[in-house]
Amino acid sequence: MDNCIEIRNIDKFYGRKQALKNVSLTIHQGMFGLLGRNGAGKTTLMKTLATLHCKKGGSITVCGTPIEHVKEIRSMTGYLPQDFSMYPSMTVQESLDYLGVLSGMDRQLREERIKLLLGRVNLTEHKHKKVRALSGGMKRRLGIAQALLHDPKVLIVDEPTAGLDPEERIRFRNLLCEVAEERIVILSTHIVGDIEATCEDIAIMNSGEILWQGTVPELLQGAEGKVFTFNAPKKYLPQIKKQYLVTGMLVQSEYTTVRIISDHTPDLQGIVLAEPNVEDAYMYCLYSHGCDVSGGDA
Amino acid sequence: MLFLKECKKVLFSLTFFVYFITVLAIYLTQFQYDGREALERPVPGYNDYGMVAKEIPEIMMPAAVESLVCEYLSGSFTAYPYGFVKYVKLTENKKMQLAKIISEVSGITAQELDSFEGFEQGGYYMDENGYLFYQEPVIPKITMPENLTYEHFRELMKEADRIIGGGSKYSDEFIVGNFSLVPKTYEDALAEYEQFINEDKITTAYARLYCDYLGIDLAILPVFVAVALANLDKRSRMEQLAYARKISSTKLIFTRFFALISVMMIPVVLTTVLAGNLVNNLYPGYAVDSFAIYRYMIGWLVPNIMVASAVGMLLTEISSGLLAIFAQGAWWLTSIFAATGGLTGRIGRFTLVMRHNNLMKRDVFYAQWENVVFNRTFYTVISIAGVALTALIYEQKRRGRINGLPFQIDLQNFKRQSKA
Repeated sequence: MDNCIEIRNIDKFYGRKQALKNVSLTIHQGMFGLLGRNGAGKTTLMKTLATLHCKKGGSITVCGTPIEHVKEIRSMTGYLPQDFSMYPSMTVQESLDYLGVLSGMDRQLREERIKLLLGRVNLTEHKHKKVRALSGGMKRRLGIAQALLHDPKVLIVDEPTAGLDPEERIRFRNLLCEVAEERIVILSTHIVGDIEATCEDIAIMNSGEILWQGTVPELLQGAEGKVFTFNAPKKYLPQIKKQYLVTGMLVQSEYTTVRIISDHTPDLQGIVLAEPNVEDAYMYCLYSHGCDVSGGDA
Repeated sequence: MLFLKECKKVLFSLTFFVYFITVLAIYLTQFQYDGREALERPVPGYNDYGMVAKEIPEIMMPAAVESLVCEYLSGSFTAYPYGFVKYVKLTENKKMQLAKIISEVSGITAQELDSFEGFEQGGYYMDENGYLFYQEPVIPKITMPENLTYEHFRELMKEADRIIGGGSKYSDEFIVGNFSLVPKTYEDALAEYEQFINEDKITTAYARLYCDYLGIDLAILPVFVAVALANLDKRSRMEQLAYARKISSTKLIFTRFFALISVMMIPVVLTTVLAGNLVNNLYPGYAVDSFAIYRYMIGWLVPNIMVASAVGMLLTEISSGLLAIFAQGAWWLTSIFAATGGLTGRIGRFTLVMRHNNLMKRDVFYAQWENVVFNRTFYTVISIAGVALTALIYEQKRRGRINGLPFQIDLQNFKRQSKA
């Protein structure tokens, strides 16, 4: 298929540690979310797709091109890493121009694309500003501009909203949705809200494995009938946390409204079945696959 | 276009600014200082015109034999096999072979040598009044056989050099300069001056002196600029953005290398122009070779910049800039302090810092011409090879096959992807 990414049975090792375990995925045009906690293997998979890591075994084709054809893959892929910056002494425009040269673009094309993209990411009036003077949100937007500079068929963005304030985060998510209309955008994140707001297709990763792949409604469907809420006196909270997977607590004056996940309806006074949200569904997915979700990092 | 952008990055870096100022300072304090007065034609009647190496057997033979005996008794022989100092200790078997030669040229038997006690090295010492005096070495009495011919002596010295391992003071290359120095006569001084004017056309001699001064610093300073550029992507957290682009590693690394060389040549070209003008103004009315200094600059100084830059780029890519600076610094210091022959015509085949700190002694320099050509070609080629290796390592890092130090090379994947 020419408009999708096919990943089949790939592994990746860091020394003896296996970072990817028999990963298989099919990613079509539009926004694709890769959800997982820190250390799940999302960045490793992103870097492998961006040709910055080599896989072991299996196969990857990007729009019909095998991943081993590095030069072709790089010309059709835009990558925004999790932790990045640009030469601090260069201006926004100079930075993009430099990266355009590294992408083999001629001067006229660079000028056209830079003008277009700066407008699209709302940085036109900051084009003469030095990179060191940009805010976190502006840097992220510049990051998207550089990744789209050579008009790639695939855009890979790794944890793009980490550290952004809510307003910048919404603006950034909207920007990603816009660019996803004409290409494959893979968004890797551990923030469920980002996925909920932007992606139709998602995959959940844990410990280097793909736990689940499908659409957001399918994920929600899986958690239907498993989410409950009830009011509990504060003194029972430690016991409840031990017994159930708690996904939310709203502290009120006398009671705390607790939101739990359970395969069976718990025998508790005042318990009500609740409509699952994506966060609940994600937690249920981890829970139902036997992942340890009792810790604070889930 | 990329070349110009890389040049700009180097040009506006702080390390380049420091490099620029340093090169300029070296020119002003060293070369310009030496070039403040023109050399004058020697006039007869002076007591001292300096020393000159001349092949005079009567002077050379006793001096060489005395040195050989001293080194034998001290148990250590100084040699410069590849332009680098080496203190050679001989095996018992080789000592016996050498003792036979010493016996043949000094009349001292092997038994006398081995049983001699109270050996003292000769040399200059300071007395209680602060005056220097020469102390004769304490060694067995030397009686050179009357029938020892000069030709046979040279054969024996060549054999002694072979036993020591080559590059010793007794080799054909070094024996005259070490043991046959005589005071220069007026005629010698005049001949040298005539050579300076007529054969070197003045500017060639100054070109060598200029390259001698700048060559010392250009064998070390570029490593700082190269390390700064090679580290820039990492420091700016830009590495991954550059890695993910379409450009080939070879093109990127070589472009960066040539940008480094080109920008670092700016102060060198500037000082070359200044030096050329200075010499022209010092010797008005003489027929000079105006392009000599530019030829020397390219042939002598560019390889220095290339090799220091290549070391900076390669070691920074492999590990860190600090290692590159330490490694180049250690090599540079070894080269500065290790080579033989004083500061004139000190050019081994592999000497990093070639020295000829002399406006005269053209013959000494050209006696090493083969070494000069080999040396500069070698370092040019080795620099290019080093940059090619840097590109190779960059590509492996870019593909995630190597991650920093210590190398983490996924050989299985390396083979698999290489086939692809």
